[in-house]
Amino acid sequence: MSDETKAEIKKLREEIASLKEQLMDLKERRKSRGIYIDIGNNVRHYMEDIMESVAEGIDSELKKCVFIGPRGVKIIREEAPPQRESVEKVDYSKVSEVMSALGQEHRLKILEALMSGGKYVNELQEKLPEITASTLSSHLNVLEEAGLVVQEKVRGRYLITMPGRIAYKMALRIAKFVESGGQE
Amino acid sequence: MWSRYQLGKTVLKTETPITLLQSEKAQVEVDSNALAVQIEFGGQKKGYVFHGRGKFILDTIIETDEGAIGKPIEREINEPFLMLSENKEIEQHIIVADRENLESMGYQSNQEFLVKAEELLHKFAGKGLLGRNCYCCCGSGFIFAFPNKTGKLDVLIANGPRLVFKSTDKVFIANNDKVVLKTPHETVVSNNRKSVVIKKKRF
Repeated sequence: MSDETKAEIKKLREEIASLKEQLMDLKERRKSRGIYIDIGNNVRHYMEDIMESVAEGIDSELKKCVFIGPRGVKIIREEAPPQRESVEKVDYSKVSEVMSALGQEHRLKILEALMSGGKYVNELQEKLPEITASTLSSHLNVLEEAGLVVQEKVRGRYLITMPGRIAYKMALRIAKFVESGGQE
Repeated sequence: MWSRYQLGKTVLKTETPITLLQSEKAQVEVDSNALAVQIEFGGQKKGYVFHGRGKFILDTIIETDEGAIGKPIEREINEPFLMLSENKEIEQHIIVADRENLESMGYQSNQEFLVKAEELLHKFAGKGLLGRNCYCCCGSGFIFAFPNKTGKLDVLIANGPRLVFKSTDKVFIANNDKVVLKTPHETVVSNNRKSVVIKKKRF
């Protein structure tokens, strides 16, 4: 092996060592910082930082938190905390607000219409012609305040929320259960 | 194009209300008589620092098969904010400001406003970077930086249906039906209504 080749190999080894050091340094920085953002030279770097912080967040939360799959499957990654025996304090005003929002036929129909996807007010009116425009608007406000629907501020569409879907399904189940005299 | 960025020397104002950004999920408006100064990169106009009344709306909502997640953000703008964009239409609605406009926004002189704008630009670019070269690559997109209550900047990057929003407690990334939302309580990753939700709170 010629001296020149040897020198080149030595140089390459040094470069590899230097790159390894840089990599270690970067890993340390990632460990020590929660969210690292530096809008330094260009937007690309900024985007990379955001993506990195999101990925880190997902990674760390996956390790220690409860994971809910797309079909509601729960996988507990670490030992679940012991169940509390004492009854948690119930916020009856919130319960009342949610139940009151559900306790109206038209509002249940609105929720049913939204189950198939977000809708504009005029689409809801077409689906529910028995409800006047002003009544529909007032019902939507009640549902929104209870957290069962949410309105997109830019486009104006109404969407049923995750709690809204659950509440709607539960309301139907309870009604069915009561109707059957507790048999179902 | 690599060059140093700088602010223009003339204080301008919006002649009419301007919708700076309008997309499916985001909207940024500034009222008439808002002060403005150009941001230049290598002699080319690349954006503005505005100070006036305005509105910022962002629908950080994800529509999934299990129901919608997230809430919209709706904020009144009162503080100076920055916009990087190569949109030329905005120029048609901007004219030179007079002393009355400056005073109505609480400035005694042009210089006072320019200093405030410079501070914002400095904060956006990062400390110590003012003297360095900076690369601006907005293309057809927009970059906004709004100071929030904590004194930090909320940054919105938008290009058509693609957008990224980063605030102190929220990250929202959207590309058509692919969306990622990260809040202090949960992280949601969604692709065409199918979603994975990771909650911090124990059940």
